[in-house]
Amino acid sequence: MSVLDSPAPRRMRSPLAHRLRIAGGVLISVIFLFPIYWMVVTSFKNQVDIFTNPPKFLFSPTLETYVEYMSRADILRKLVNTIIVATGAGVLSIVAGSMAGYALARVRIRGAATFGLIILLSRGVPPIALAVPMFLVARKLGLTDKHITLIFAYSTFLVPYVMWLMRSFFVSLPRELEESAMIDGCSRYGAFFKIIVPISLPGLLSTLIFSMILAWEELLFALVLTNRYASTMPVAIAGIAGDTVNGANWGALTAVGTITVVPVVIFALLVQKWLIRGLAEGATKG
Amino acid sequence: MGTVQIRDVRKSYGAIEVLHGVSIDIEDGEFVALVGPSGCGKSTLLRMIAGLEDITAGEILIGDRVVNNVAPKDRDIAMVFQNYALYPHKNVRENMGFALRQRRIAKAEITERVNNAARILGLEPLLERKPRQLSGGQRQRVAMGRAIVRDPNVFLFDEPLSNLDAKLRVQMRSEIKELHQRLKTTTIYVTHDQIEAMTLADRVVVMNGGVVEQEGAPLDLYDHPASLFVAAFIGSPPMNFLEGDLREGPRLALADGTVLDMPTGDPKGRSRVTIGVRPEHFTIGATGWPATVSVVEPTGSETQITARLAGQIVRVLIRGRTSVLPGETIHLSVSPDFVHFFDPAPVPELALLEDAA
Ligand SMILES: Nc1ncnc2c1ncn2[C@@H]1O[C@H](COP(=O)(O)OP(=O)(O)OP(=O)(O)O)[C@@H](O)[C@H]1O
Ligand SMILES: [Mg+2]
Repeated sequence: MSVLDSPAPRRMRSPLAHRLRIAGGVLISVIFLFPIYWMVVTSFKNQVDIFTNPPKFLFSPTLETYVEYMSRADILRKLVNTIIVATGAGVLSIVAGSMAGYALARVRIRGAATFGLIILLSRGVPPIALAVPMFLVARKLGLTDKHITLIFAYSTFLVPYVMWLMRSFFVSLPRELEESAMIDGCSRYGAFFKIIVPISLPGLLSTLIFSMILAWEELLFALVLTNRYASTMPVAIAGIAGDTVNGANWGALTAVGTITVVPVVIFALLVQKWLIRGLAEGATKG
Repeated sequence: MGTVQIRDVRKSYGAIEVLHGVSIDIEDGEFVALVGPSGCGKSTLLRMIAGLEDITAGEILIGDRVVNNVAPKDRDIAMVFQNYALYPHKNVRENMGFALRQRRIAKAEITERVNNAARILGLEPLLERKPRQLSGGQRQRVAMGRAIVRDPNVFLFDEPLSNLDAKLRVQMRSEIKELHQRLKTTTIYVTHDQIEAMTLADRVVVMNGGVVEQEGAPLDLYDHPASLFVAAFIGSPPMNFLEGDLREGPRLALADGTVLDMPTGDPKGRSRVTIGVRPEHFTIGATGWPATVSVVEPTGSETQITARLAGQIVRVLIRGRTSVLPGETIHLSVSPDFVHFFDPAPVPELALLEDAA
C-alpha cells in the first residue's frame, strides 16, 4: 500500500526556475532528437536532395528507397528475425530475471548479495570477448545462424539486467504481502505468481520493453552468431553502411534505420505510462 | 482444536540467540497477549507460530500436531499484520475471499462467508473498493475480515492497532474483544501496549529480552508482579519505586538519608530492597511520607499529582478532585497490602516513558 498508491509530492517552484528548467529540457531534447529527425527526413529524400549543400529543409518527399528495400526478401526476413529474437530474448529474460531478482530480494541465503554482485560484475566483460567463444560453442553444437542461439546469447546480458532492476523493485514491496499469501494457502511460488507478479506488472512490463529494445538493437552478437538465416536489422544496416563501393548509400541507410527505430519509438510511446510509473515505483523504497 | 503449546522454543539469527527458551501453553479459545518492550522477541515468537520463521530449537504444537516443519498454509491459522498487508491489486471482497479460493471452496460459499464477515465488521458498503481507497481504520477492519472468513484454529495478531490513532485504537480494541467473545477462536495477540494487553486478554505473557518474565491473568499481574520489570511494565501511570535499606520499625532508609516509616516489612526478610507503590494506592492525609507537589493534572474523574519525595519523582493518582496546589507539601500513606518488595534493580526507563506518553 505504502509504495503503491501514494502520489508523488508536488514541489513548489519559482516561475523563473520553472521556465529555465523547461528551456533546458527543450534544448536537451533537440540535441537528442535532431539526429533521429535527420535520419527520418533523409530517408524520404531522393539521391539529389540528400547531397544538396547547404541541406534543403523543404523538398518533395519520395518513398522510392522504402519501396525498393521493403520489397527485398532479405530485409523483410531480417525484420521478422528481429521481432522473433527480441520477443524471445525479452520474454525469456523477464521470466528468468524476475524470478532470480525475487530470490535475491527475499530468500535469506548466506552470500546472496555477493552472488548478485558477481552476476552484475560479469557484465563488465566486454561483449567481444564473449562473442568469439560463443561462436565456437554454437558451432560445436550446430547452433549457428539460429534464432534460439541469439535468444540465449542476449539472455546472458538481459537476465542480469532484469534481475537487478526487479530486485530493487521487489525489495521495496512489504514482505508481509507474501507472508500473508503463504498463510492464506499459497506456496512461495504461488505467492510470487498470484500476488507479487500482478502488483509488479508495471515494473515487469517496462523492464520487458527495455530488454526487448536492447535485443532489438544489438549488433555484435548478431553479426558473429548469425548468417543469412537468422540475422537481424542492425546487421542489415551495418551491411549497407559497410558497402561503400558506389559511395555511401545514405538513402538506404536512413530508410532501413527508420524502419528499425520506428517500432521501438511506437512501442515506447504506447507504454510510456507504465514506463514512467514502473521506473518510479522501482526506485522508491517503502 | 485450537490449543497451542510452545515448548522451550529458541531462536537464533546466526550466532545471536534472540529467544532463550520460551514455553507457553495456550488453551482452546483462550485470548493470550504477548507483551513486552521493543526487541524482546514477541514478533519473532508469533512468526514462528505462523511458520514464517524457522524454529531453531524446541517444539510448537497446534492442536496435537508438532508444526515445526509444517508450511504456514497447512497450519490452519490466520494472521493480521501491523501494516495489514492487504493485496493492493484486489478489492476488499477478493482480499477477504483469497484464502478460501486457495482452498478451492465453492464460489457460492465464498460469497456467503465473505458477506457474513463483512456484515459482522460493517464492511458491506466497501466490498468493491481497492485497499488504497480505504482509510486506515477500514483497512484494519478488512485485515480482520480476511482473518475471520477463514474460521481458522488460531488467530495471530501482530500489533494490529498500532497504526491507528488513539481514538480508533480504543474503538477497535473493544471490537476485537467483542469478536473474540463471539467467535471464541484461540487468539495470540502481540502488542507493546500493556493497556491493550490487559484489557483484551484472558492471560498476559510479559516477555523481556527473549524470555517469559511472568504470565498470568491481567489483574494477577497487576496485583502480584513477580519482578520489578513486570511491576514497571504493567499499570498506567506506572508504579513508583524507591530503593533503600530496610531497618527496624520497619523503616526504609533512602540513599539521601531520608528515613520513611513503612506500613509493613519485606515478607522475604531482605535488607536491601526496592519498594513499589502504584500511584492509585497512595492516600493523601495528615501523616505519612512528606512530598512536595510539583504538578497537578485534573482530568475530571481523577487527578494525577506529580511530587518530589526525597529528591525522587513520585506519581499519585486520586479519584475525583483535590485542592492541593503546586509547592504544597502533602503526606502520602499506603496500606500494607499495596506495598510491593523487589530485589533492587534498575527501573526499566523505557517501559516507564512509553507508558507515560
Ligand atoms: N532477521 C533478523 N535477523 C537478525 N536479527 C533479527 C531478525 N529479526 C529480528 N531480529 C532480532 O530479534 C530480536 C527480537 O525481534 P522482534 O521483532 O521479535 O521484536 P519485537 O518484540 O517484536 O519488537 P517490536 O515491539 O519492536 O516489534 C530483536 O533484537 C531483533 O533485532
Ligand atoms: Mg514486533
